[in-house]
Amino acid sequence: MSVLEVRDLSKTFPIGGALRRQRVHAVEGVSFSLRPGTITALVGESGSGKSTVARLIARLYDPSSGAVLFEEDDVAQARRRKDVLHYRSQVQLIFQDPFGSLNPVKTVRHHIERPLRIHGIVPSQQIEGRVHELLQTVGLVPAGEVADKYPHELSGGQRQRVAIARALAVEPKVVLADEPTSMLDVSIRIGILNLMLKLKEERNIAFLYVTHDLASARYIADDILVMYAGQIVERGPAEQVLAEPLHPYTRLLLAAVHGERITERGSGGSAAVDPVAGCRFVSRCPLAIPVCSEITPELVEARPGQAARCHVTAPAT
Amino acid sequence: MAQLEPTALDLPLVAARRGINVGRIRVPGWLALLLRNRKSRTGLLIVAFMVVVALISPLISVAHPNDFNILATRQAPSWHHLFGTTDQGSDVFSQVVVGARRSLALGALAGALATVVAAVLGIAAAYVGGIVDEIVNLLTNVFLTIPAIPLLVVASGYLKTRGMWTMIAVIALVLWAFEARILRAQALTLKNRDFILAAKASGEPTWRVVFGELMPNMISRIAAAFVLVFYIALLVDSGLEFLGLGDQSATSWGVTIYWAQVNSTVLQGEWWPFMFPSLALGLTVLGLVLVLAGIDEVSNPRLRTERTERRSRLAALLGGKAFTR
Amino acid sequence: MTVLEAPAGTKTLLEVRGLEVEYGNVRAVDGVNLHIGTGEILGVAGESGCGKSTVANAIMQILRPPARIVGGSIVFQGEDLTGKSQEDLRRFRWRNVSMVFQSAMNALNPVMRVGDQFVDMMQAHERISKHRAIVRAGELLELVGMDKRRVRAYPHELSGGMRQRVIIAMALALSPELVILDEPTTALDVVVQREILQEVEALKRDLGFAVLFITHDLSLLLEFADRIAIMYAGEIVETAPSATLASAPLHPYTQGLLQSFPPLTGPRVRLSGIPGAPPDLRDMPSGCRFHPRCPHCLPENAALHLRQTSERPRLRETAAGHSVACHLVDA
Repeated sequence: MSVLEVRDLSKTFPIGGALRRQRVHAVEGVSFSLRPGTITALVGESGSGKSTVARLIARLYDPSSGAVLFEEDDVAQARRRKDVLHYRSQVQLIFQDPFGSLNPVKTVRHHIERPLRIHGIVPSQQIEGRVHELLQTVGLVPAGEVADKYPHELSGGQRQRVAIARALAVEPKVVLADEPTSMLDVSIRIGILNLMLKLKEERNIAFLYVTHDLASARYIADDILVMYAGQIVERGPAEQVLAEPLHPYTRLLLAAVHGERITERGSGGSAAVDPVAGCRFVSRCPLAIPVCSEITPELVEARPGQAARCHVTAPAT
Repeated sequence: MAQLEPTALDLPLVAARRGINVGRIRVPGWLALLLRNRKSRTGLLIVAFMVVVALISPLISVAHPNDFNILATRQAPSWHHLFGTTDQGSDVFSQVVVGARRSLALGALAGALATVVAAVLGIAAAYVGGIVDEIVNLLTNVFLTIPAIPLLVVASGYLKTRGMWTMIAVIALVLWAFEARILRAQALTLKNRDFILAAKASGEPTWRVVFGELMPNMISRIAAAFVLVFYIALLVDSGLEFLGLGDQSATSWGVTIYWAQVNSTVLQGEWWPFMFPSLALGLTVLGLVLVLAGIDEVSNPRLRTERTERRSRLAALLGGKAFTR
Repeated sequence: MTVLEAPAGTKTLLEVRGLEVEYGNVRAVDGVNLHIGTGEILGVAGESGCGKSTVANAIMQILRPPARIVGGSIVFQGEDLTGKSQEDLRRFRWRNVSMVFQSAMNALNPVMRVGDQFVDMMQAHERISKHRAIVRAGELLELVGMDKRRVRAYPHELSGGMRQRVIIAMALALSPELVILDEPTTALDVVVQREILQEVEALKRDLGFAVLFITHDLSLLLEFADRIAIMYAGEIVETAPSATLASAPLHPYTQGLLQSFPPLTGPRVRLSGIPGAPPDLRDMPSGCRFHPRCPHCLPENAALHLRQTSERPRLRETAAGHSVACHLVDA
């Protein structure tokens, strides 16, 4: 049933001065699966590792450990060009910066044509027609005019639509959207989100929607994964998790967004650098008990379909 | 020496991607931009003038440059001999205009060769990284530390032949390292941009990412590198010829000056065999320096010194609405 | 042009009338009227290219060429700022009005300790010994909820949120009457954002300064601001007290903006946002600048359509404190 599965994915980076002795555990033990025709939101703040997860799945980096399974094969191990190319035609990535993700000296047409040519999606004579079709699908009309334009001649929202059209060109099964709307004006965000919903419904694509904005996650996502300091701390159906969050971090996020008063205890920051045993949220958690500093909690399904990584709200029994 | 810090985006050049139509002539975007900028416009005109002179030199030179006429030696400039004659009776004007061919060709080819080597090595080192980067850096460091002029002097001193191609190779060898470093730095800033990652994630093969996506974003820096090496090569080549290390039988500016110096013409009050080739050289280099300054300004808006209010009719014709969309 | 009166009971601190700012020959701000009373929080919301940051820079008189004020007046406590000398402006800045820029937290000098940067700033404005300045810096840090020992820290040792608090503390150092916040929390996590804004609110209550809060995030203003002005393409299109703006917005742009925030509670509905994009300042639509995106601008209503596409609407007061620039309201 799942089209892509991530199993125990981990990635560490060396940091810290000239000798680079410290390691930040950007992603640790992340596991989830994506199903066709669903949008899964991966929510977290900057530094939570959510973008790294997307890039690992897109094979822009190699994981330190763990597997990315697509159609039962571990793509992180694939080395042959043929296999890598096949994977790239099935899993596409959309970047956060709409200007940075398009080559400034190339036309819109070039951006959409290239994947079509590389993967031989359609014969040469039909390429122009397909480019126009894709532009129409993402709402960029008149397609003929837009195809000739350069990125700087388009607005942020239009550029992001071009990025989506490029991703769709290969007819992917999975689209990883890394904060696609956070750099766009507020009034255009809804348009992009609605486009993603339409594509999910019409083309049965599995979306991974990486974001820090809980409200937009609720708007389009079926399932939600909450990340903190490299780990998934809560997961479940979006509506359910946002209505009745288990993990204290999820509750804190919701409180902040709802505009409730929050009282902080300490600050997050470097929980992912050379982490010690114990819950990574312990320094900020209002519910912390002694065991939280000693044993790292596991993800436990405390309610049907909803799991959290917390000794207090989702204790292992 | 006007030098660009590596600019991450060739935005103004991109903005001028579209050519414009002046009357019925189609002017490519980059050319229009360079013509709009006062410095590069002047520079381009000077260089164009020199190139034209070099091209039509057989038509305008009065006599073969090496013809000597013992009856007309050491004559001051006159209507018959515009730039005077040398101590052997050769017409200086002819020497200058014909010499332009060799000097300009040598400068341009040395520039092109050095730039190509610098671009290929620099960009490959940046994108591929690892051992390739280490090797290229080592090479660059070696070539940068060796003092250029002594190397050139020694190299050309030992060379059996001093033909044009040898000189081109020697000069390019000395000058590529400087630009390679700069181009590598710029490529490094571009390599992790999202659009390069996106191309990779689309399945583009590495060579296409480097040459098809990355390099086109470096055009203005590569053009600047070419112009820079061009005029340095001109100066270096002329300098070597002046020292007697060039091909003394060739016709070029440096050689003319060499013979003028050898024959002590200035001591005898005969300034013309010395002055005119020097002026030609200086003017060409000035033109190239202006073009380079113009490229710098166009690529990096912060360097711009032009006021928006004062615009010539030509600039207004070429600029303004054509570039705003 | 109507003169908007400050709510009864407060003194007008700053009044901007008919402000016009151009960059070269592109008009970025075209006839903006604003006023702020003592102790009031005025929010200015708008998207990219609407000119809100330009207005802030104009008020602080820190516009750099090619940007320049070409019209209008900025009157602070009765004095017109546009006529002042450089020396007067230098004293005015930071003492009467201070500003927290966008990404200011990245503008801290990375090689100086935080305390030294305070000293630098304070000594530029008044005669104060280094020791006393450091003590005051410590007090200011405590004021914004930080440990005063952080005075000895370097900027890179602090998190983004902490650096922003340092910037706010610096802005408050000389006890100004007005603080301008230009996107003060955009780069910060939502939790840190909330803390900082709570902090600013508390400080405002204690110290009594007024705030000009500029942001693209209308939802923040709905919560923190007393009054809100909506900017679009260089003009103010609507001004109202926050509660009124939220419950009864009149301008279609405001309505569209409010429609662009997916709700966190309640039923999950499909929203429509606003089609199109903010206009290029060099190529402004004729008449009402919002008309290409306005759902109420339809060719069928010929007479109205003609007005919408040829005549710029004027800001008119429709109720106490509520003004709108819209042909639909005029009609």
